[in-house]
Formats: sequence, structure tokens, C-alpha cells
Amino acid sequence: MVISANKSTRSQVIEEYINRLESGEALLNDTPQNLVEVVGILKSYGVVLDAYSVNLCYIANTQFLRLFPVWKYFNGEVTFKRLLRNLWHDRINYEYAEYCMKSMFWHGGGGLDAYLDTPEFAAAADRVIKAKFKYNPLMLGLHKVFPDFLPELLRQMSYYSGLGQFWRVMSDIFLDLSDRYDRGEIKSIPDVVQHILDGLVKDAARPITYKVTIRGEEYEVLPKSLGLTFLPDTAVPYVEAIFFRGTPFHGTVSYNAQAYQIPYDQSAFNYGALYADPLPIGGAGIPPTLLMQDMRHFIPDYLMDIYHQGIRGEGDLRIKICESFQKSMFCVTTAAVKGLAPHPLDTSDPEQQAANRKYLKGWLKRLFESQMLTVNQN
Amino acid sequence: MLSALILIPLVGAIVIGFFPDKEGKMSRNLAIFTALSVLVINIYLGWQFDTSVSGFQFSEYIPWLQWIGLNYSIGIDGLSFPLVCLNSLLTLIAIIVTDKSIARPRFYYSILLLLSCGAVGAFLAKDLLLFFLFYELEIVPLYFLIAIWGGKRRGYAAMKFLLYTAVSGILVLASFLGLVWLTGADSFAYEPLRSHTLSLTSQLLVIAPLLVGVFIKIPIFPFHTWLPDAHVEASTPISVLLAGVLLKLGTYGLLRFAVGLFLDAWVILAPWMAILAGISALYGASCAIAQKDMKKVVAYSSIAHMAYILLGVSATTRLSITASVFQMVSHGLISALLFLLVGVVYKKTGTRDVESLRGLLNPERGLPVTGGLMILGVMASSGLPGMVGFISEFLVFRGSFPIFPIPTLLCLVGTGLTAVYFLLVINKVFFGRLTQSLARLPQVKWVEHAPAFTLLFLIIAFGIQPSWVVHWSEVQAVALLTGS
Repeated sequence: MVISANKSTRSQVIEEYINRLESGEALLNDTPQNLVEVVGILKSYGVVLDAYSVNLCYIANTQFLRLFPVWKYFNGEVTFKRLLRNLWHDRINYEYAEYCMKSMFWHGGGGLDAYLDTPEFAAAADRVIKAKFKYNPLMLGLHKVFPDFLPELLRQMSYYSGLGQFWRVMSDIFLDLSDRYDRGEIKSIPDVVQHILDGLVKDAARPITYKVTIRGEEYEVLPKSLGLTFLPDTAVPYVEAIFFRGTPFHGTVSYNAQAYQIPYDQSAFNYGALYADPLPIGGAGIPPTLLMQDMRHFIPDYLMDIYHQGIRGEGDLRIKICESFQKSMFCVTTAAVKGLAPHPLDTSDPEQQAANRKYLKGWLKRLFESQMLTVNQN
Repeated sequence: MLSALILIPLVGAIVIGFFPDKEGKMSRNLAIFTALSVLVINIYLGWQFDTSVSGFQFSEYIPWLQWIGLNYSIGIDGLSFPLVCLNSLLTLIAIIVTDKSIARPRFYYSILLLLSCGAVGAFLAKDLLLFFLFYELEIVPLYFLIAIWGGKRRGYAAMKFLLYTAVSGILVLASFLGLVWLTGADSFAYEPLRSHTLSLTSQLLVIAPLLVGVFIKIPIFPFHTWLPDAHVEASTPISVLLAGVLLKLGTYGLLRFAVGLFLDAWVILAPWMAILAGISALYGASCAIAQKDMKKVVAYSSIAHMAYILLGVSATTRLSITASVFQMVSHGLISALLFLLVGVVYKKTGTRDVESLRGLLNPERGLPVTGGLMILGVMASSGLPGMVGFISEFLVFRGSFPIFPIPTLLCLVGTGLTAVYFLLVINKVFFGRLTQSLARLPQVKWVEHAPAFTLLFLIIAFGIQPSWVVHWSEVQAVALLTGS
């Protein structure tokens, strides 16, 4: 009885959200507070993504096939002052970008992942390795003995580059959104969603390529001819890995397998940004996500003023950032859902409507267990 | 000089009581100044105190109502000095942690100082009747402090406290009167009465009401039922004073009078007292495990830990007596710290219910510093090495084990249970995910934690260097056992 009642409630909620999306609204409630939080946080996220993107591309382009890339976070500017700053962690935590990269890498999906297991990639990687270590017999010997080792590094580098290029686009979208908001052009959450959707559509077919330069000669790892593009090969796998499955909120939530908190069906297990608990648990010492630490430096004044009004002021700033960030990610998800829909969501064709509803139901079933209801309740 | 310890809070109480101050700011400042002055005098006395000499020092004597044998005779020795210091420190802390917007501030601060005056007077009294007067004096302010500024069931708790402690006072007085009557002494002066030559039967007759009286005050099972109610209903500063100082009047009375005046009878009764201590320790610990109110857990923990003092006194060895005094100081500091922290939790969350609280150690939205201090306080109470709780309990058990091994083992089990009930509380209240309803807690300012940090500093300092406390009472412990 209880189960059927819960199922009924669940169906009602899903139906409500489908109607909401069909009528042009977003997964996140459209309120002035949400708008300020989302735009403000996406501005700071845009700044941070820009830095992540630059660093990921720097690593992919210059640090490839280095066994000990000690200076990979320095973007080529190695000074004593910067070293101290790096060790003190008063900097952008590029480690977070690498967590995301590895999350995508391990989770896979999309054309990029498929290509990295092909003989074409193996041949391209072999060319790069032989060129890179042309005068290094030791490394060539290593490559001979362990033929999977160095290509694996290049696979990783391909993801460094792919995520770097993806974030380049997203950073520009978010910073542009902030500028438009400042000019008074963004007035609601659906406006935010539409801006992101327009940005995704505009760059949907943007090619994803990766080439390295060795002694003045260029070697293509991900050639343009492959046809890898922004939306299906980086954006969708990113959403799947980071929003649904990944571990971007490192240490903020833990699951106990013995308490059956991890489902037997692994595909039903979600641990991404949309599901993360903004409140760090356990005890003192567990750090909130590095991303929140990075974003706190770039929060616009109008959002900081709102945060200061809270009972703890800046004491729980990272949690507030996380909550706002989660709201903003529901806007990005809305844009992705709308963008990938089989037909325009405002179609009046019954067949298209049915196809859309089936598609939306699939998404919302997954999102039901996320923080979606929580962010809309608060 | 010694009278200043009594007179300054008394004068402070009178001045505050008659000083026009509606908002209470001046009353609070005056109270802090008064308590601070007493603490400074204590430090000065400590500087002048000769630890190599037994007996009372800085004695003062003023003939008073000589026709009933009562004189104003005070002095301080190695037994009372640590407790007088503890009283002045905890009084200052109690005033500081009092809510600035407390209702009827003049009356509150006035009787708080009167309470301190009563306690210090009892510790300093060299006259049995004078001790009784001060012993009774502190009951009245404490009754009002619970009855006016207490929780929902404050009337019940205050009345229960009053009845129990009034009976305790009557029994103590009956014992003193019996002693004077049987010995034919012409006054209640403590030192002359120590050389009485009463028969063992007479001593047993006279010591019986005294023991019941002090057992109510300590409290020892089965005379304890007033304490949990009083603690639960009392506000945080009053709980601090109640656990930190006022319970010590019972154990001090036990040492000073039961052992000091009736050593022969005490030695006969000691095996039974040790068993009672073991039972009380286990009972307190068992009850603590079952509690859902954090304050009740600490209250029952007090019953268990105060029993160790009875065990130490029962063993009646130089080491165990010294350790008992040390345990009084140790328990005073630790229980005060725990009550302070429970008070902070209650102030910020509005509840002390172990079942409702969860995840308070959350570094961003919980009470992480309070939680950290609580864990350290619990470690101290559980007797972890490096903290005062370990060394004081170790000394008690070291002193009592050769004499009463079985009761000592019972108390050791009680010590083990301390970790059980406190870890249950810590686990439920501070670990796990912060409950959603508690995710909007106000921040605790560092100033609010200053008293707790002070206590923690002393707990660790005395844990690492116990001789800073022990050396005050070592010589007097010997004198107590040989001078009677």
C-alpha cells in the first residue's frame, strides 16, 4: 500500500516536471533569489572554468608523455613565488579539473571514448611516442616491454584536451550570461536556460581535435577528420559522468554498501553533482569540494551580499556556493535535456509530443533521486 | 586576608542587590570584578601558602556567639585550598557564561555571589557550627537560582533539591551537636574536637547522620535522585557551579569531618563505604548509558565520578586521600567543561535530546569547535592519559586497590563505562550527517568558547603536571590520618 502510494506520488511529481519543461520552464523554480544565485555563481564558475580549461589544454599540449609532470599546474610560469603560492593552496585548485577529467575517462561514453580503443588511435599514439622519444632508447625500450603504458598516458591526454576544449566553450557561455544579466537582458531562470541552450547549440558541431608538437612537427592524436564534435562527444559524456555518476564533490558524501545504500544494479547508482549532498558529513577535516574553494574568490558582490545575510555570514560560504552551484547545474541540465530532445518541446504534433514525453520521462526518472526536489523546496 | 574571600563576594552581592541597574550590564561587570578580585586573592594566597606545613594557615579568629560555642574561626589548609581556588575560578566562569540578557540580573548576580560566598565560607570554616551555617547558606541562593532561572520543571527540581539538602544539613548538624554533647566540649571549634576520646560506639552513632548528610550532598547512591533533576532544570552556569563546587562540599565534609574527627569509626565503616562507592559508580554509569538528555548523561556521570572520591577516602591511605582531593579538582574542572559545552549545544540548537541531534561536528554548519572540545572533555572524563582525569583516577585506584581490590575493580569498570556512555553521546550528537533542521545553526563565537578553552588548558596542564595540584594537599593528607 505504502509502496503504491509512493509510486503514485513519484509519478505525479515526474508528470508535474514534464509539464513544466513542456511549458518552457526549467527544472529549477523561477524565483528572483534563484536567478541571482544562478547567474552569480555561474559567473564565478565561468572564471574558474576558464582557468581549468587553460591548464588542461596546457597539460595536454606541453606535458604529454612526461612521467613526472611536476610543474603541470604552473602553466609554464615556474617561479619561487608561484611555487610558494601553489604549496600554500592560495590558487586555483587544478586538481579538481583532473578529478573531472578522470571521472569522464573512467566512465567513458561518446565518440571520443570509442575512438581511443581503435587501431587508428594506437597507430597515432605510436607515432607520437616514437617521435617524442626518438633520442631516448630507455623510454623506447620501456615502450617495447610495456606497449600499453605510454598509449594509456596519451589516452588520458586526449581527455585532458577534450575536457579543456569543452570547458572553454562553457566558460564563455557563463561569462557571457553574466554580462547579459548585468545589461538587464536576463530576467528569469528560463532566460538562463535559453542562453545556455543557445550556447550549446551554437557550438554543438564544434570539432574536438588534439594535436601535439614535437621538435616543430605536428602530430594529430584526435584528427578533425574523425568528426568528434562538442555536443555528443564531450558535453553529453561530461553530463553523464559528472552530473550523474562522477565524484566531483570529493568527500562530501559517502555510501555504505553494507547498509544497502549502493544498489545492486550499478547503472542505478548516481553520485554526481546533481546528487551530491552540499553538507559535508563525518567530522571536521573533510574538505568541501575544491571547486567551491576556487569559486569563492570570484563571487560577484551582489551574490556575496546575499550570502552575508545568512545566519553564519561567510562561515558556511562553501556550502552556500555549493547549493547555488547545484541550482545552476539544474539549469544546465535543463538546457541539455531540451537540446537533446527528439523534437521541440513546444510541438503541437501528438506523435512528437508522445516521443518527447517518453524521452523526458527517462530523464526525470533519473533526476527524481537527485537534489532536484530539495533545491526547489528551499 | 582570608576573610576577604568571604567578604568580597558578600559585599559584592549586597552592592549589586541595591545598585539601580535595570539592564544588568553594571551588575554583570561588578560581579565579574568581584569574582576576579577573589581569584586574584586566591593566587596571592597560593603564593604565600607553605605546602611543607600541615594544619591551617592564615587563620583568623573573632569571638562571636560564645554562649552557644560559635566563633568566627577560619583557616585554610591543603584540603581546602584547591577547592577554594576551584570555587573562585568556576564562579568567575559561571558569571561570564551567563546570558547577558538574563531576567532580573541584579538579583541573579547578587545571589550567585552569595552562593560563592557560602561555598568558600564552608571550605574555610574551622568551626563546625560555622561550617554548618555556610553549608546551609549556599542552599538558599541555589534554590532561587534553580527555581527562578531554571527550565520548565524548575519548581519541582528546586523544591526537591531544597528538601534533600535541607535534610542533609539537619543530619550534619545533628552529628555536630551529638559530638559536642558527647565530648562535653564548650565550643564547636574543629581542632580541639579532633582530640576527643569518644568510644567507638559513640563515634559510630555520631558519624552515621554525618555520613548520610554528606552522601546526600555528594551524592552517593541511593541518596542521589535530586541531582539529575537539579542539573536538568538548572541553567548552564548553575550546573557548572553545582557540579564543579557545590557537590564538593559533601566530599570535603566527608574528608574533613568523617575522617578528620572520627577516624576510628571510619576505618570500621570503610569497607562498606568502598562497596557503596563501587555500587554508586556502576549505578551512575549504567544510568548514564540509558539517558537521552545530554545533561542527564553528564549528571549521572558526576554521580559515578564522585563515587571514586568516596572510594579513595575509604582506603584511608596517604596516597588515596591526596588522590581524593585531586579527584575533586579533576571532576570539578571536567564536569564544568562538559556542562559548559552541553549548554552551548542547547543554546544553539534548542535541544539536548540525543535522538534529535546529529552531525554537529559538521565543519561548516555545525558546531565543530564545540564538538572538538566536547570530545576532548569526554576523553578527559574517560581517563585518557595526558589529561587530569587519568592521573586523578589512577591515583585513587592506585591508593585504594591494595586495601579494597574488589570495590576498586568495580570502579574501574565504571571508568570503562564512562567511555561507553560518552562515546554513545558523541557518536549520536556529533557524527553523521547534520540533521536538516539543524542546518541553520548560529555560529559560536570564539569568546563564547574562551571559558571552555581555559578549563581545557587546566585539564591538560594538570594532566601533564599533576604535582601542581597534588603538592598542596600531600602534607595535609598525612596530618589528617595521624593527627586524630
